Amino acid sequence: MKAFWDKVSKNHYYKMIFKNPFTYVTGAVLLSIFQIAIFASTGSPWGVSGTFANWGAWLYRLVGGNVDKWYYFSSEGAQATLNNGILNHTGSWLNFGIIAGALVAVLLASQFKFKKIKSLKQVVAATLGGLLMGYGARLAGGCNIGALYSSIASLSLSGWVFAVFLFIGAFFGSKLLAKYFM
Amino acid sequence: MAEFTVDCLGEACPVPLMKVQKQMEKMAVGDVLIAQIDHSCAMKNIPEWARNNGHNVEIEEVDDGEWEIVIEKTK
Repeated sequence: MKAFWDKVSKNHYYKMIFKNPFTYVTGAVLLSIFQIAIFASTGSPWGVSGTFANWGAWLYRLVGGNVDKWYYFSSEGAQATLNNGILNHTGSWLNFGIIAGALVAVLLASQFKFKKIKSLKQVVAATLGGLLMGYGARLAGGCNIGALYSSIASLSLSGWVFAVFLFIGAFFGSKLLAKYFM
Repeated sequence: MAEFTVDCLGEACPVPLMKVQKQMEKMAVGDVLIAQIDHSCAMKNIPEWARNNGHNVEIEEVDDGEWEIVIEKTK
C-alpha cells in the first residue's frame, strides 16, 4: 500500500493538479469561471464578508440577543434572510464551501499542519487586523471580493476606487506591521 | 560564507517575506539564508522576490506543510 502512495506522490499529474501551487494566471482564470457560475446560478455577484455579519447576527440570536432594531439589519430583505436561517442562506453555503474546499485541497497536497501561536503579540495583531478588516468591509459595503472583484467584473467604477484605497491601506498597514508587530 | 536562519514558522503573509528582506540586507555576498516557513503563500512570494533580485533559491519540503527556502546572496 505504501508503495502505491509513494508512486502517486511522484506522479506528474498528481503534482501538477494537487501538489504544486497553480500559477497566478491559472488561479485567475479558475476564479473567473467560478464567479461567473456563482452569478449565473444564484443571481447575485460573489461576496464573502457580508455573510460574516449574518453569522454574527445568528450567533447573537443564539445567546438571546436581538438585532431587529439594528440599522444594518433593518431592511425587510435582511430580516427575511435572518429569519430563513443559515441553512437557507446561499452566501453561507459559499463560505462553507471555501472552508471545506481549502481543507480538502491542503489534505490532497499533504500539507496540512496545525500552526503554533508564536506570541501574544501575534494574537493581538491578528485580532486587531481581523476586527479592522471586518469593520472596514462593512463600512465600505464589501470586502476585496464583493467590493473589488465582483464590482470590477460587473464593470463598476466603484471597484477601481476600492482598489486604489486598498493599496493605500495595505501600504500603511504593512508599515505599521513592521513597526509594531515584527 | 556564513549561514543564517530565520524562523517564520506560524507566521502569515507578509511577515515571512519582510523578515527575509530585513535579514538579507544585513548579509554579505555569498552568505546563505535558510527561511523556515509553514505558510504556503510564502513559498511563492519569497522565492519570487529572491529570484527577481538575482539570488539563488532552492525550496525543500521538510515536513507536511513545512518548507525551508535556501537563498544564497549573490550581490
